[in-house]
Amino acid sequence: MATEIEEQTSSRTRDEVNKPWQVVVHNDPINLMSYVSRVFRKVFGFSRDKAETHMLEVHHHGRSIVWSGEREKAEFFVQQLHSYLLLATIERGQ
Amino acid sequence: MMEFYETDEDKLGFRQVPPLLADLLRQIPRWGEGDCEIAEERLFPAPSSDLDEETLCDDWKAFVQPELHELFQSARQTVSSDLRALVEEEDTFALEFPMAHAEAWLSALNQSRLALAAQHGFEEEELSQTGPLEIVDERGLALLQINFYAAIQQWLVEVLDD
Repeated sequence: MATEIEEQTSSRTRDEVNKPWQVVVHNDPINLMSYVSRVFRKVFGFSRDKAETHMLEVHHHGRSIVWSGEREKAEFFVQQLHSYLLLATIERGQ
Repeated sequence: MMEFYETDEDKLGFRQVPPLLADLLRQIPRWGEGDCEIAEERLFPAPSSDLDEETLCDDWKAFVQPELHELFQSARQTVSSDLRALVEEEDTFALEFPMAHAEAWLSALNQSRLALAAQHGFEEEELSQTGPLEIVDERGLALLQINFYAAIQQWLVEVLDD
């Protein structure tokens, strides 16, 4: 029984660690739509269409998950987005 | 009517700038300087709103924000230096600056717009109103300033996208 609990805990911990982290961009009424779209292309290398889809999601729904993956890289992208003055946060994946 | 233009020598410029707008151009580097706490919060947001991420937020303040401060200051200094070339031509003003400085201008303009909006607490509805603005107080002037800077930003994004 003890082994089973340990295994479950260990497995849960592993799942938590492996859960991808998300980079979320939040809406603000100041940043221009064309500017936000351009920043997405520069930071993530998105195509024009993909960048506009995310920009419109931010505009209409208040937020968009623009990237998910390893935590360290997610932090790097948030820093990049902050350098362009976008409101961005890191969140644990659902 | 103020004109925005590109030259064949990789320069960007404004001409026929009315005195009021020339004065607003001179003010671009001033607003991002961070002497207002509410503006500072917007220019340097936290990387997470999760209470469990206190360490990340502390590290961000210690290591990332100083780098961002330097980056933003460098952009403002570039614009400040370019603005020294603003010249009076009869009743209006003109300015040319290198296209290579366009990114710095985008950053400085954005810093100013965000700081002004934070300081005056503008809501989305006010910011998206169309039609002539009534400049009867400091708030009205700030709204004009935000819109004027937005027009320059929009032009710069279009130039850089070409």
